[in-house]
Amino acid sequence: MHSLRVPALLLIVGILVTQFVQSGSLYSIFTQAVIYAIFALGIGILLRQNGLVSFGHALYFGMAGYGMGILLAGSGMPAEAAMLLVLLVMGLSAFLIGLVIVRVPGIAFSMLTLAMGQMSYLLASRARGVTGGADGMGIAWPAQVFGVSQSVLLKPPTFFLISWCIMVAVLLVVSLILATRFGSISEAIRDNEERARFIGIRTTVPRALIYALSAVVTGIAGLLSSLNSGFISPESLHWSVSAIALLMVIVGGFRQLAGPIVGAIVYVLIKDVLGDLATHSMAIFGTALIIVIVFAPEGIAGVLRHWLRRPQTAASANELPGS
Amino acid sequence: MADTEKKTEVDTHVLQALDVSVHYGGIRALDGVSLHLRKGQVLGLIGPNGAGKSTVIDAITGRLTLTRGRIVLDGEDITTLSAEQRRKRGISRSFQRTSIFGGMSVYRQVELAAHMTGLADARDDALDILAELDLLRLRDTLGEDLGYGEQRRLDLALALAGRPRVLLLDEPMAGLTMQESMDMAEHLKALTTRRQVSVLLVEHDMDVVFRICDAVTVFELGVVIADGDPAAVRADARVREAYLGSAA
Repeated sequence: MHSLRVPALLLIVGILVTQFVQSGSLYSIFTQAVIYAIFALGIGILLRQNGLVSFGHALYFGMAGYGMGILLAGSGMPAEAAMLLVLLVMGLSAFLIGLVIVRVPGIAFSMLTLAMGQMSYLLASRARGVTGGADGMGIAWPAQVFGVSQSVLLKPPTFFLISWCIMVAVLLVVSLILATRFGSISEAIRDNEERARFIGIRTTVPRALIYALSAVVTGIAGLLSSLNSGFISPESLHWSVSAIALLMVIVGGFRQLAGPIVGAIVYVLIKDVLGDLATHSMAIFGTALIIVIVFAPEGIAGVLRHWLRRPQTAASANELPGS
Repeated sequence: MADTEKKTEVDTHVLQALDVSVHYGGIRALDGVSLHLRKGQVLGLIGPNGAGKSTVIDAITGRLTLTRGRIVLDGEDITTLSAEQRRKRGISRSFQRTSIFGGMSVYRQVELAAHMTGLADARDDALDILAELDLLRLRDTLGEDLGYGEQRRLDLALALAGRPRVLLLDEPMAGLTMQESMDMAEHLKALTTRRQVSVLLVEHDMDVVFRICDAVTVFELGVVIADGDPAAVRADARVREAYLGSAA
């Protein structure tokens, strides 16, 4: 039940937003925030469960868009089946890649992910015949997706609400997965891999599965982005995209699963909603990053959690003398 | 008749390290060491730093690869098995430096350790161990939030979870006060007796070793220089010279 509380709260927030916000441009900004939030959630899962930092998750963000573009252009496959196939292939390939790279510790892992991401960026930039090269490629979405016409689906309030609900569903599914025995195993490996081996845990496969899960979540963000824009370019694969998502994770906090979502919202608020100050968004976000690292290493979500728990702790302490 | 006696003796050995050597290049960390641990026995391993005591534990649990020799558990040769496989067959260990899961609650990690061995009643096993080690009141506390002595007990709880047949403890009293060491020794003796687990104990605290061990093996420079019951080992001239000191 505890794992349902945050998703339920977020669902209510999303519905409230649609009741009060009228501006189409605001909805576009919010949708961008949601897509980034899912992307950051993917990176956050990897950091939270495996203790590993990825500088190359844009690989999976962009791969989803390119996968859809190529499948819809050439195979005649229904869009819904293509989306499923893209996520399945992405999950499987990430698992196989994970079996190799999760054995590499710390900064070396981060450098490996950076190298893979940049390789995919260069590949997409140069394979003009398949990807359209540096110009990118349009994605030929059909007139209807999941039985809903594009004109309805892509209305800013509708698409925002759909994206928001998908984000909440992803958060719920991930939190349910991590509440199982598998979640405990991956946490044990993260905390102390050697000890985990000596209580009988084979450590590579669970770490690779977490890597695959984080890739699939990032891929869902990529699918939404490609549906929203109908276009994909090598810029989506660039390391700077991964870095921004990683900053969101750090600012929002990774110990709480919803932390990266908070970080994405803060980032987009600073970047797009502050009016004239938006031109200095990176400087403001950088300052926020420094403040968080120095004063709140657990991120904004960690601070919020601490505040929310404090009254309960105080109440418990007050009860002690009489109990 | 002699054959029968020999067979019975082998049957009572739950763990045997036979002619075990571990070499690193030219360094012989262990050289032709043989150990025999009987069912229910607490066997103490003592010796100066660098004598090879921890290397024995690493070799038996699969943390190190043997240069030569065999490890036999209840008649089964487990020399080539991985650390995870050895754990599932009943060999468990603790570490010289406290080794717990800092981000997990006390109960969750001990229950996980019990579950990973395939034990059907992992929950009951975890609660029983936590109660015995006086950790039940801290069951929801994160490992990293425990005091040092509590972390040492949690380390022991992780090793005991899942009803292992053999427990290898690498200086479980390291860093504890005298009183904490004695408390831990009492807990250890009570738990291993009740759970019928055989123990290989590496420990520098001689009071603890001679108090709870049924037999003692003495190491020096990677070889066994003496073994037998504690009183005999304590009286051994070579041991007194090499390790205990003439005043012991």
